[in-house]
Amino acid sequence: MIIQVLVNGIISGSIYSLIAFGFTLIYGVMNFFNMAHGAVYLLGAYLGYALCVKLNIYFPIAAALATAIVATLMLLIDNIAFRPLRTKKAPGWAFIIISIGIATLLEACVTMVFSSDVRSLTKGPIQPGYEFLGAIITRNQLIILIAAVSIMVLLTFFLNKTKIGKAMRGTADNPEMAIVVGIPVDKVYRVTFFFGSALAAIAGILVSLDTDIDPNIGNPALLKGIVASILGGIGNISGAFWGGFLLAMIENFAVWIIPGGWKDGISLVVLILFIMIRPSLFGIEIEK
Amino acid sequence: MDLIYHLLTMSGIYVILTLSLNLTVGYAGLFNLGQGAFFGIGAYTAALLSIKLGFPFLIEIPTTALVTGLLGMIIGVPALRLSGDYLALATFGLGVIVYTILNNWISFTGGPMGIPGIPRPTIFTLSFNSSASYMLLVTVFALLIIVFMNRLTRSAFGRVLLAIREDETATLAIGKNTSKFKILAFLVCAFIAGIAGSLYAHYISFVDPSSFTTAESFLIFSMVVFGGMESIPGSILGATTLILFPESLRLLGIPTFYAAQIRKMLYGLLLVIIILKRPQGLWGKYPF
Repeated sequence: MIIQVLVNGIISGSIYSLIAFGFTLIYGVMNFFNMAHGAVYLLGAYLGYALCVKLNIYFPIAAALATAIVATLMLLIDNIAFRPLRTKKAPGWAFIIISIGIATLLEACVTMVFSSDVRSLTKGPIQPGYEFLGAIITRNQLIILIAAVSIMVLLTFFLNKTKIGKAMRGTADNPEMAIVVGIPVDKVYRVTFFFGSALAAIAGILVSLDTDIDPNIGNPALLKGIVASILGGIGNISGAFWGGFLLAMIENFAVWIIPGGWKDGISLVVLILFIMIRPSLFGIEIEK
Repeated sequence: MDLIYHLLTMSGIYVILTLSLNLTVGYAGLFNLGQGAFFGIGAYTAALLSIKLGFPFLIEIPTTALVTGLLGMIIGVPALRLSGDYLALATFGLGVIVYTILNNWISFTGGPMGIPGIPRPTIFTLSFNSSASYMLLVTVFALLIIVFMNRLTRSAFGRVLLAIREDETATLAIGKNTSKFKILAFLVCAFIAGIAGSLYAHYISFVDPSSFTTAESFLIFSMVVFGGMESIPGSILGATTLILFPESLRLLGIPTFYAAQIRKMLYGLLLVIIILKRPQGLWGKYPF
C-alpha cells in the first residue's frame, strides 16, 4: 500500500512539477504571477482532446500540435496584453489582474466550445496496469512520468547551455544589467512566456491521459503550481521540480488517511504552514 | 417588473461586496482575491443560524457579520505577513480551501447539495416575502453601508490605510501599528461581506458551494477594478454595471448556458481592456 501511494505521488508529482516549472519560470524572468497559467493548462487539455479524439490524430503528434498552438496563442496574448504593460513599467498587481482577465476569458471560451461535460481521452476498456513491487502503474501513467521528466530535463539543459537560455537567466537575475550588456530583453520575455505556457499546456495534455477532464480543472492546477513553486522557493527552477514532487507526496499520503475531496484544501494548508514556519524550503526568501 | 426587482436586489448585494473589497484592495492596497470566500462564509453562517438555530433576522445578521469578520481576521493574520503579490496568492488559496470545506464537510454544510429552505426575513411584524419589499431591504442596507464606508474612508483610520498603501515603512516610522490596521481592514472587509452573504442567502433561499468559487472572487475583484480603486462611487458604478450589462444578454434570448459563458468572457475582456486603457477604472483615482 505504501508503495502504491508512493507511485501515485510520483505520477501526480511529475504533473505538479511541470505546472510549477512553467509558473516559476514566468515569475523568475518576467516577475509576475501568471494567474492565467491554470487556464493555459485547461486549454492544452481540451485542445489535445479535440485533436486526438475528434480529429483522430495520433496522440504524440496531437500533443505536440496542441502545445504549439496553445503556446503561439499565448504569445499573441502576451503581445496584446502583457507587452504594453511592460513598456509602461506597470506594477505587479496590474499583471495579476490582467492575467485573471485572460484566465476568465479562456476558461469561458473552453466551456462554451466544449460544454461543461466531463470528457475522456482514453476509449474502450481500462488497460491493465503493470505490477511493480506490489503497486499498479498503468501504461499511460508511465508515459506521463517519462514525458514530464524528460521535458523538464531538456528544458533545464536548454536554460543552462544555450545562448537564449543564458540570456533568460541573466534577465531573471538583473533586467537592467541585461539591457546594458545587450541582451534583447523583450525577446527573452517572449521566449519565456512561450515556453512557460507550453509547459502548462503539456501538463494539461498529459493529465488527460490519466484522468477525465472538465472545464473546472484549471484553477486547482494553478493552485498546485503556486504551492509547488513556493515550496521550492519561487523563481527557483530546480526548487519547483522538487516542490512539485513534495506536494504530491504530502497530498497522496494525506488522502490515504482522509477523504479525497479534501485534496485541494491540503495544498493550501501546506502553503499556509510554510508561509508561517519557513517561507521557503530551498533558499529564496518569500517576504520582500 | 420582477426582473427589475431581481436586478436591483443583486446590484445592491454586489455593491456591498464591492465596497468592502475596495477597502482592502483600493484603500489599503492589500490584494485580496478571497472575497468570494468571505461572501460564502457569510451566506452559510446565515443559513445555518436561521435554519438550525432559528435566529430571528435582526439578531442573525449582526451575528453572521461578526462570525465572518472574526474568521476573516483569523485567516487574515497569517496572510498579512505577506506583501503585495504574495498576499494575492495566499488569498486565492484561501478561496479554494473555503470552497473545499463547503463541498466536503457534508454533515455541517450539506456538501454539494447545499442548504435549501432559508426563509425570507421578518423584522418584528414586517415580513419581506415579496421581491419588491426585499429589494427595499437590500437597498436600505446598501445605502447604510455606502454612508458607513464614506465616513470610514475619510476618517483617521482610512487615512492610515492609504498611508500603508503608499509607504508601509514610513507609516510604521510615524508610529502607526500597520499590522493592526491591516488586520482591522481585513476584519471590516469580511464583516461587511458577511452582511452581503446573509442578504444573498435569504434572497435566493438556497446556498451551495458552486456560488462561492474563486470565479466569484475574481468577479467581485473585477467590479472593484472596473469601477475604480479608492473610489466609492466607482464601486457602486462598477458593481451595478457588471450586474446589469450582462443581463441584457438574457433579453436577447440567448440560452442560459451560453449567456453565462458570454458573461464570463465579457468580464475577462473588460478586465483586460480596463487595465490597458484606463487602469484607474471608470471613476477611480489610483493610476500607476
